[in-house]
Amino acid sequence: MSIHDLLKQYLEEGRIKVDKSIHHELTTYHDPCNYGRKSERMFGHGYYEEPRWVAQQCCENFVDMYPNRANNFCCGAGGGAWAAPYVEERTFYGRTKAKQIKDTGAKLLIAPCHNCRDMIMKSLRKEYDFMDVEVKYLWELVADSLVIEPREEEGEAEEE
Amino acid sequence: MEPLLISKREKRRLASQYADLCLTCGTCAGGCPVTGVDGLDVRKVVRLALLGMDQEVIDSKFPWVCTLCGRCEHACPMNIDLTALLRSARAMRPRDQVPGVLHKGVAQCLKSGNNVGIPKEDFLFLLEDLAAELGEELPGFEVPVDKKGAKYLFTINSKEPFAEPEDMFFWWRILYAAKESWTVTSENWEGVNWGLFTGDDAAMKEIVGRVVKNYKEMECEYLVLPE
Repeated sequence: MSIHDLLKQYLEEGRIKVDKSIHHELTTYHDPCNYGRKSERMFGHGYYEEPRWVAQQCCENFVDMYPNRANNFCCGAGGGAWAAPYVEERTFYGRTKAKQIKDTGAKLLIAPCHNCRDMIMKSLRKEYDFMDVEVKYLWELVADSLVIEPREEEGEAEEE
Repeated sequence: MEPLLISKREKRRLASQYADLCLTCGTCAGGCPVTGVDGLDVRKVVRLALLGMDQEVIDSKFPWVCTLCGRCEHACPMNIDLTALLRSARAMRPRDQVPGVLHKGVAQCLKSGNNVGIPKEDFLFLLEDLAAELGEELPGFEVPVDKKGAKYLFTINSKEPFAEPEDMFFWWRILYAAKESWTVTSENWEGVNWGLFTGDDAAMKEIVGRVVKNYKEMECEYLVLPE
């Protein structure tokens, strides 16, 4: 099961509640190659809309990069490049991604992939000077937006 | 010099069965951020493959600076499997020449069950420790390890227990809020499979097989790889 379907399901069924006013800044979304293009080619469905819907439940102002979805640019660290020694090449690769992000004017970027998040947060922000943009996983955005109701009764029930 | 005949299939291990449909239009290379790096681009790789010049592709670093993002094949008017072709070139490198830590990670995962070699007792101690920390905020929170019959089995990216353990709290908070039935396994919990990147199908299959075995033994309904 995909994390996008699971998060969407929790929100749709009301199993988790979120407060979108916690994230009021302009927010954009990075399409990872694996959840988008490659999932579409391999499994017949690209996860483009689900993560956008989830993100928009948790933030007030959303803007898309251009180009996006199947035409999105890779962060530059895919295919194992984050763990490969070609740092200069992958930073050069990431210039298109950096420009896409900066052009949106967003101050919060959501990346639902460990690899993309690390590349953008730990490398591109520094190399291309946009340290003012915060980077979060999609599930981090959801976790940070949660309104958790007290659960003491169940905690006790489980212990019995 | 012998002419290079495209019918000499044994010389063209890299050219996939569709690569000779290439129209040389260059759409692939036109939209790729690493076109020109190492003197190559996707279109040139296809030409080299079609001419049977596999070794030049295998020895170059281009297949490794390419991120296999698939933008080229998405745009290819002839729908050529370009990432499969580039990944094959990676697979044809001797394993001791795979760049960086990628193959070491695969070998470590085969040996210890995760890419960074975290021992089982350390992993379990860490989970317990972190669960207690989160439990101070969320009463009754615990990390269910090897819980048979849980609805969801979650794998873990070894990067988190290794370097960013508190990032595991994000999912844990969500699962707590949703009152979900879930579990992680004490062994072979690695959700990252670098065999995908190094072109190592045998290792990839073995690692996937272990996760599937866990999933079956734990009798879980769904498997979630938060990757």
